[in-house]
Amino acid sequence: MDYVKFVKGIQENNETLINEYIPIITGVLIKFLKVRHGADHHDAEDVVQNTIINVTEKIRKDKLNHPDTIIFYFFTTAKNEYFKFLKQKKENTDPDSVEKHGKEGDQLHSLLIQEKQKILEKCMEGLTPESKDYITYWFDHPRDDASVVAEHFGISVNNAWTKKHRIIKILKNCVEKKWHN
Amino acid sequence: MAQLMKKNKINLYKKIDAYIKGNLSEPEIAELWIAFAKHPYLLDELEIEIGLRDILKKEILVRNRSPKKKFSLSESLIWHYAAAAMLFVIFSMQFFQQPSKSRLANFTLSSINKDQLETADIVRSTIIDTFAADSILNLGFMEYINDNYTGAFLLYNELLTNYNHEPYASKAYLNKGIFHYNNSNYDLAIVDFSASLERSPDDTMIKEKAFWFLANAYAHIDDLQNARNNAYEVYKMNGIFRKASFLLLQKLNYDLGSSDTETSTD
Repeated sequence: MDYVKFVKGIQENNETLINEYIPIITGVLIKFLKVRHGADHHDAEDVVQNTIINVTEKIRKDKLNHPDTIIFYFFTTAKNEYFKFLKQKKENTDPDSVEKHGKEGDQLHSLLIQEKQKILEKCMEGLTPESKDYITYWFDHPRDDASVVAEHFGISVNNAWTKKHRIIKILKNCVEKKWHN
Repeated sequence: MAQLMKKNKINLYKKIDAYIKGNLSEPEIAELWIAFAKHPYLLDELEIEIGLRDILKKEILVRNRSPKKKFSLSESLIWHYAAAAMLFVIFSMQFFQQPSKSRLANFTLSSINKDQLETADIVRSTIIDTFAADSILNLGFMEYINDNYTGAFLLYNELLTNYNHEPYASKAYLNKGIFHYNNSNYDLAIVDFSASLERSPDDTMIKEKAFWFLANAYAHIDDLQNARNNAYEVYKMNGIFRKASFLLLQKLNYDLGSSDTETSTD
């Protein structure tokens, strides 16, 4: 994801480029709000729309141009917009919710969608027995260092990480393919 | 150059792994999210990894819960009949035996079975909400069934330090109580079972277990009055421990000099 290109696209009003980048940024910000601030998916969608309008406006006014600053600004704006959103519906919400979201830690499991999990299970059936054994062993020893897995399978630690990543990538590609069909 | 890129990638995988395990500091998490924004495919991979962990964790739980040896249907039936016959004989003997002639220990649990441990509720809605607290609870269960009792105990303590609220606290306290009970530390077990009871006003199953284990723990330290009060609560709940609590209640009533099971504790 090239944010320099994205800035250029906004400033030059390059619609093709904007249409290519905005859905990707939207996806990242929705996940950010869900995981880091415990937002509901639909709330996150609403908030992210405002965030993108806000940030692209700033870019147009030439107030942002460094890629890392833009990313940081996207996250900060999304967070502020979300808290603003929570305050607006405060009468229907637990008054401590803002605090609560901050205290409970990252909710990584909010990324999961049941339908996708079913597809993932199917994709796992397609793994070779060797890959299934490997990944099962890895997650069966959640508290161990990668070196334990590496030693068990007689490979280097770096290869242990690479092998695990390769399996995740196979599963990711399989899920994406089935999800979009 | 390729070597450096590979090294950077592996560092990122390590950070993602540490993030999932909750081992990253706040600045490190912020830094990782910058990486996610630059490489959104990493977020998709994170999603797959969490999903994969969830599926495999459930598989591991099922595997550890199911008996190691598989019986054929006929063998299984024979065993079931034999077990049922044995239970019937034991139950009949206990039921018709004069409570006074038996030892109190005959009516109490010498240890609490592992299958009484509380685990996480896996699926709550269309979105799977297996939070970190659920994972710790399940990890504790796995440690316990693998006979690493201290490991399980530490995980339950960790759960109570970080997630001392429902639906986790009542379960963590109950499981800690079981740990103490099985180590014959009945005083400590009583503290934990009472804490579990206090925190689970609406969960009948946890409540029933807590009352039942409390009754047994009090019986072990010869606090018969409290043992009877708790056994009576179990009896009134009319749940899975009703028969066992009835027998214990009869024995306690006899030892305490009361006779009417239904009314003596009111």
